[in-house]
Amino acid sequence: MLNYIWAGLIVSSFVFALGHDIRDIAGDRYRNGRPLPVELSFPEGHDPAARRVPVEIRIEPGEYASFYGTGQRPAASYAGYLLQTREGVQLRFGAGAKLPEPLATIAKASRSRDEELQGRLLGLTPPERVQGTGLATAMTAVVFEPVRFVKMSAIAAAALDFAKTGAEIALGLIGVLALFLGVLKIAEHAGIIYALVKLVRPILRPLFPEIPPDHPALGMIALNLAANVFGLGNAATPFGIKAMEELQKLNPREDTATNPMVMLLAVNTASVQLVPPVLLLALLGLQINRLIFPIIITTVLSLVVAIAAVKLFGRLPGVRASDPNRNPPPPAAAPTA
Amino acid sequence: MNELRDAVNLLSYFVIPLILVGFPLYGLYKRVPVYESFVEGAREGFQVAVRIIPYLVAILFAIAMFRASGAMDFLTLILSPVLGLIGFPAEVLPMAIIRPLTGSGSAGIVVDMVNQYGEDSILVKMAAVMFGSTETTFYVIAVYFGAVNIKKTRHAVPAGLTADVAAMIFAVWTVRLLFG
Repeated sequence: MLNYIWAGLIVSSFVFALGHDIRDIAGDRYRNGRPLPVELSFPEGHDPAARRVPVEIRIEPGEYASFYGTGQRPAASYAGYLLQTREGVQLRFGAGAKLPEPLATIAKASRSRDEELQGRLLGLTPPERVQGTGLATAMTAVVFEPVRFVKMSAIAAAALDFAKTGAEIALGLIGVLALFLGVLKIAEHAGIIYALVKLVRPILRPLFPEIPPDHPALGMIALNLAANVFGLGNAATPFGIKAMEELQKLNPREDTATNPMVMLLAVNTASVQLVPPVLLLALLGLQINRLIFPIIITTVLSLVVAIAAVKLFGRLPGVRASDPNRNPPPPAAAPTA
Repeated sequence: MNELRDAVNLLSYFVIPLILVGFPLYGLYKRVPVYESFVEGAREGFQVAVRIIPYLVAILFAIAMFRASGAMDFLTLILSPVLGLIGFPAEVLPMAIIRPLTGSGSAGIVVDMVNQYGEDSILVKMAAVMFGSTETTFYVIAVYFGAVNIKKTRHAVPAGLTADVAAMIFAVWTVRLLFG
């Protein structure tokens, strides 16, 4: 199942990105290579010899709308500057300008430094001074860098970015994992886990019938569930991992999930918590007080569904056949005593 | 209800300190070499974290690509008329789809929806209940199964997703019932 979902995510993202980009090209969404008329004014005058000349950029909204075929409107004016080199004159919009689509996408895709939207100016007639205002203005046109395959580069960037994030998240867990796994080892040596097993056995046995009655896995599962209930995600993860390790000791096939493993996972993804996540509190503030009741109802109902789903799906012939306990590995693969 | 909530809230402040102090204290009483035991157990932290990396990278990059491609918009487009039949508002559909995939992404959606519809709107309440009552299923699968190198997940994904779908529908219904 996970194989298909995973491949489905990757393949469909490629297909959708390609479709989006082909539509862009077919509709010439970015008007690649065609000049957009702009009006420049020079608050500090125009010095043809200066490398950098500050300008104010005005785009006529009607012209913009018909040029790009969009309903979005540009702002009244944008701060920017001219970069005058021997190769020509480049117009740059100031970083952080609130650009309308599709200019915003062009700015992101044109790979300039600091996310400044940049384009080549087509001919700059020397600005004339407007009588009375003292401002020099000039009409000209700008050609932006051609933009192609926006989504294709977006999915590539996202993949690289999140590969890094994945490793960072995992490594970021080291400290917390070490802390709680250390304390759990003390609990194991002190016999706390066994005491806990006796305590929770009547409740957890029906959910995890495959676990032997005195196995420490039940104690770890109890700790994991308790941490979840109190909204302590930091502690719940190490406890859950430790519980998985205990369950793995009972597993005859080490690459295949056993029924109790699937149950533990389902109970965790359904996430029974009486204390709402801190993140939600941060996002919604005091609103959360009125939402606690619906959250608890929903989470308990979905827990019931999760347990029922694990038990029901567990009876499907294909799932039954893959149960490591029903179908232990061939003797050749099993470690000999 | 309020008293229960206050009690749970109060307890939640003490659970971690109680575990961190109580376990070693009890260990001392049982004459366990607590420091040595702690270090022995903590050593595993690094191995577990490193073991998780391939699983987490596999899941996260695929989901990130899927989100970046715009496939999500398409999914929303085709699913919303179907779900409209059972009274599921199209506005919270992105939340329902993203919630099992990414935690940070779904938190971002709550923020967007607060900005767009206002804190008091029933849509924001639905999204918040969805966020609060479920977990990032694929992250949990990657971390928990990754930690013990389980590659064949059997019915874990279908069961987890079934529970997620149920939670999303329950969230809409309970919010409608209480605030609608």
